[in-house]
Amino acid sequence: MTIINATVPLGLIKNIDDYSRIINEILKHNVSFNILKFSTTPEGINLLLDVPEEKIKTITESLTKNNILVNKKGRVVIDEDICIDCGACISLCPTDALNFKDDLSVNFSEEKCIGCLLCIDSCPRFAIQESR
Amino acid sequence: MAKTYKEINDKIKNGNAVVITAEEMVKYVEENGPKVAAKEIDVVTTGTFGPMCSSGAFLNFGHSDPPIKFEHLWLNDVHAYHGNAAVDCYIGVTRMVDIRPFEYGGGHVIEDLVARKKIRLKGNSYTTDCYPLAEIDTEFTIDDLNQAILCNPRNAYQRYVCAVNSSDRTLYTYMGKLLPNFGNAHFAGAGALSPLSNDPNYETIGIGTRIFLGGGIGYVLGEGTQHNPKGRFGTLFLKGDLKQMTSEYLRGATYPEYGTSMFVGVGVPIPILNEDLALKTAVSNSEILTDIIDYGIPRRNRPNIRQISYEELFSGEIDINGKKVKCSSLSSQYHARKIANELKEWIEKGDFLLNPPAETLPTDSIYKPMRQSLELKFVKDLKRKAVTCYEDCEIKIVAERIINKNTNHIIITTHENKLRGIVTSFDITKAVAQDKHEIKEIITKKVITTTDNEPIDVAARKMKQHEISALPVIDEQNHVVGIITSEELM
Ligand code: SF4
Ligand code: SF4
Repeated sequence: MTIINATVPLGLIKNIDDYSRIINEILKHNVSFNILKFSTTPEGINLLLDVPEEKIKTITESLTKNNILVNKKGRVVIDEDICIDCGACISLCPTDALNFKDDLSVNFSEEKCIGCLLCIDSCPRFAIQESR
Repeated sequence: MAKTYKEINDKIKNGNAVVITAEEMVKYVEENGPKVAAKEIDVVTTGTFGPMCSSGAFLNFGHSDPPIKFEHLWLNDVHAYHGNAAVDCYIGVTRMVDIRPFEYGGGHVIEDLVARKKIRLKGNSYTTDCYPLAEIDTEFTIDDLNQAILCNPRNAYQRYVCAVNSSDRTLYTYMGKLLPNFGNAHFAGAGALSPLSNDPNYETIGIGTRIFLGGGIGYVLGEGTQHNPKGRFGTLFLKGDLKQMTSEYLRGATYPEYGTSMFVGVGVPIPILNEDLALKTAVSNSEILTDIIDYGIPRRNRPNIRQISYEELFSGEIDINGKKVKCSSLSSQYHARKIANELKEWIEKGDFLLNPPAETLPTDSIYKPMRQSLELKFVKDLKRKAVTCYEDCEIKIVAERIINKNTNHIIITTHENKLRGIVTSFDITKAVAQDKHEIKEIITKKVITTTDNEPIDVAARKMKQHEISALPVIDEQNHVVGIITSEELM
């Protein structure tokens, strides 16, 4: 499974239920998938989805045709130069994307990050940023 | 067989002292026993690297021309304390910049100072005959200063508690971000590497002990503030020459919605004078215990959930009432280890000698709470009787109550007096305008509440935080036992 981020842009939202367009569009492809996060942002309504790897291309195409933006944004990046390996962020992370290496320095496994952003304001060094 | 400081120092000078870290010592004693360890090992090094709010530095700028006697001064816009002679000051790590607090503070100024960055100094004065200059605005680096002395009244806690949050909202504390309903746990301290846990009776640590501080050499000035030997929460008062230190081991930090602090690197060498000290420095994470404390209750005596060992804390997951909770440290174990190893290298190279303390730390002092001359007031002292309505009554009746009882808040309850929600006079006005008739259409169900034994200030902060003007008071079974409004708090 792979995580994608689907957004109904602000200008196209008429109804709060418009996120169902994203779901209906994906369901057409006869796949099962997980909704990891639902959020409303200044850019529009945003769904973080875990979809089967092999269907990424077709799903992306059909969503894009319906004016739904698809990208991999929504994860975080860690600036290793400012990080001091305290580990305060680790207990906030629901997926073990943030973890310790053997030498107890802090490691970020990007592929496990679901972009929940819980970690961002736990960092005393502002080392974690939402990726753009 | 006992050793003396002199024997150990002679070996250090000859380059043949045997030095290992406190982590290595655990294994060594396990394999060889304390007798062999006492004979073979000369020094055990410890280390810790965590946020230490009771830190700061004394700086002396030298005199300007014409001279100035500071009344107020700012370093990179952080207000420094001035209550000494003309051009001395103390910059404390928790002081934040006035204009963009929670981003930059005294700890960051100290980090920038040791990184040899330029610091802006602004100051003013009421002027005197001997100090006529009224204002100064200049830049300096640490090398321009006469003295820059790190002076921390409380560092290197022997151990610290593990913090969790039972409340229903995320808390931002000095123990970091704590998720609601025991969503995570944070602890601090280096466990088996912690300096004071390796000499728990303070036999070798005291006034004058030479240590690793912030990457340079520092000294123990004595017991730290709130030193609590009986509770096994000993602390150290430390000082050192800031000019020798590096920004790798002094790092400014910000805990969102709490404030700024600084990570300080401390390492204390423990001479293995006898078998007893060999045994003590072999203390393992499973033997160092602390408590899990519920920060969801904002009182001095927060509920203690249970005892826990550092071994369990370091495992990354702890058990709280049968629930698995992710747990991580606020202090860096990676750096704590690095500090213990760096100190070990210094001693092995013959650069760093050990000295007996002029006086050891007290083992019997008592840690007291604050004496408060005004009696603490609780919600039960100021609450009034709530005006209530049952959930199934008509809006018209609610409206009548609001008028008759001259109130803005009606608490909605079940027939058993259990809290269901709240309706305000504004909700009623809206209901009339929108032609609504049933309470369930206008009720606010997610209500912020308080209890009889909550201090008034805690209730007041809740109202401020949620921008509301009243809190229903409930008992343990969710029965409504009163209401407290902002009027009572005035
Ligand atoms: S955004 Fe969420 S999943 Fe990603 S690292 Fe942070 S806490 Fe973990
Ligand atoms: S909280 Fe920040 S500084 Fe600490 S380990 Fe995580 S990213 Fe690094």
